[in-house]
Amino acid sequence: MWKWIQKLASPKVFYETTNKLIPWFFWPFIVLIIIGLYWGLVLAPADYQQGESFRIIYIHVPSAWMSMLVYFIMAVAGGIGLIWQIKMAEVVAKVSAPIGATFTLIALVTGAVWGKPMWGTWWVWDARLTSELILLFLYLAYISLNNAFDNPKTAAKAISILAIVGLVNLPIIHYSVKWWNTLHQGSMFNDMSNPSMHPDMLWPLFIMVFAFQFLYGVLALVSARDEVLVREQNSRWVRAVVTGEKL
Amino acid sequence: MTLAETLSFLPYGQYALYIWLSYGITFILILGLFVRASINYKKIRSQLKSKYAREND
Repeated sequence: MWKWIQKLASPKVFYETTNKLIPWFFWPFIVLIIIGLYWGLVLAPADYQQGESFRIIYIHVPSAWMSMLVYFIMAVAGGIGLIWQIKMAEVVAKVSAPIGATFTLIALVTGAVWGKPMWGTWWVWDARLTSELILLFLYLAYISLNNAFDNPKTAAKAISILAIVGLVNLPIIHYSVKWWNTLHQGSMFNDMSNPSMHPDMLWPLFIMVFAFQFLYGVLALVSARDEVLVREQNSRWVRAVVTGEKL
Repeated sequence: MTLAETLSFLPYGQYALYIWLSYGITFILILGLFVRASINYKKIRSQLKSKYAREND
């Protein structure tokens, strides 16, 4: 395992691996998103309380989960980059930020649109909503901080520290519905053996969660592949890849 | 008559506006990520090709 990680730390191997992995993430994403959308929008029955509006859950919950997962990946990759000086970990962290920020924005917007017919308002300063908004600000701060430095090494250090410090927000988001009396509903999955959703509604949700994970995978791999080319542009292998010359 | 009522002829009736708005915004944002990735892909390769061509001259 350690040997494999060390091998992957080589930019050339990392580039080749990302190139090979892209179709393995793209096609499962396409298949899962088609099944998930059809099941969620057509086959799943309407909720007995929320009616048809509950169908927003199929994009709201996966994007909210991904907003936290991507931040976690970003912080861990940043930490690996800081401790072991693995440049490819820095690449993973850097390219994840815009994707994570987009997932967070989707979670906030779809939540607001669902809130209007259900709560009668687009927004409340509820603990869950506010902590998710702080997560969006953390992503934006990360991207801005990275752009503020000319030296990529200094930038990588600064953004990794920011990502690690910002990790404290993840348990706050997760437990906000328990720690505070919030308008946002509690977790549906406190007991996985007995979820509070009917399987006809639950399965498309799981499928959409997996679809969003593959979506992140494909987007991160494509961006990481390009980032490696920029960082290693003075290497002979990058010249060979871009121009088609033989090494 | 509100916008939600006006659009209630669409699938999902009185909630059509909210459901299609959510899915529409999500689609646009995700499409934006793919477009951005595609633009970057072309831009980076074109910049690197020009750089190597200059170095060869």
